[in-house]
Amino acid sequence: MRNRVREQRTQRGLSQAELAAALGVSRQTVISIESGRYLPSLPLAFTIARFFDLTVDKMFDPDDEEAGP
Amino acid sequence: MMTLIPARLRWPALYALAGLLFAAAWLVRGGRLWWVSIMALILTAIHVIRLYRLGGTDTDEGARAGSRPDERQQMISLRSRALACNLAAVTSFIGLSAAIAVNAIWFWPFLVTLLITGYGYLFGLGSYGVAEEGTPDDADTGRQTRPPVRP
Repeated sequence: MRNRVREQRTQRGLSQAELAAALGVSRQTVISIESGRYLPSLPLAFTIARFFDLTVDKMFDPDDEEAGP
Repeated sequence: MMTLIPARLRWPALYALAGLLFAAAWLVRGGRLWWVSIMALILTAIHVIRLYRLGGTDTDEGARAGSRPDERQQMISLRSRALACNLAAVTSFIGLSAAIAVNAIWFWPFLVTLLITGYGYLFGLGSYGVAEEGTPDDADTGRQTRPPVRP
């Protein structure tokens, strides 16, 4: 599943540590999500989407099976 | 009780308690090997300090040691514990089989471990919701509910 976390984060000029602090997760988890190695839970997916003012389906694309950006 | 202890101290405190119990067991046993309790205390102290320092690092292991894991780190920990339990069950089964084969009296620790892991698994299934099947939401509509598997 492809996601736009890295794209959105870099657009806003945030570091992975800053995003992690904002989401209440570890920096390692942000790295894993960005690389597609970890699929976040539904509550965390909503938190990420809301943080970037996007919907979950805009943030995470289930049709694209390619892992990572 | 664990919530009264600051998060970063929980795992070190647990290891300190385990080390103290282990050292006390050697001391109570007495005999020529009483010094093992001193060794146990020294090793426990070293491990507790290492664990406390690890709890302050920005790593997955640090998050676990500092009792502040997020959902991914909790999942990793859960999977690791499940793997450890599976290994314990398989090892117990092999040990039990070997003990039976040689007609040994030391079969019972394997049997106890196997029973604990087996019943623990069943207890987990019951506790975590397998039994919550509930009533289908179309039960009162008169429609035939199709079974998931064809007879």
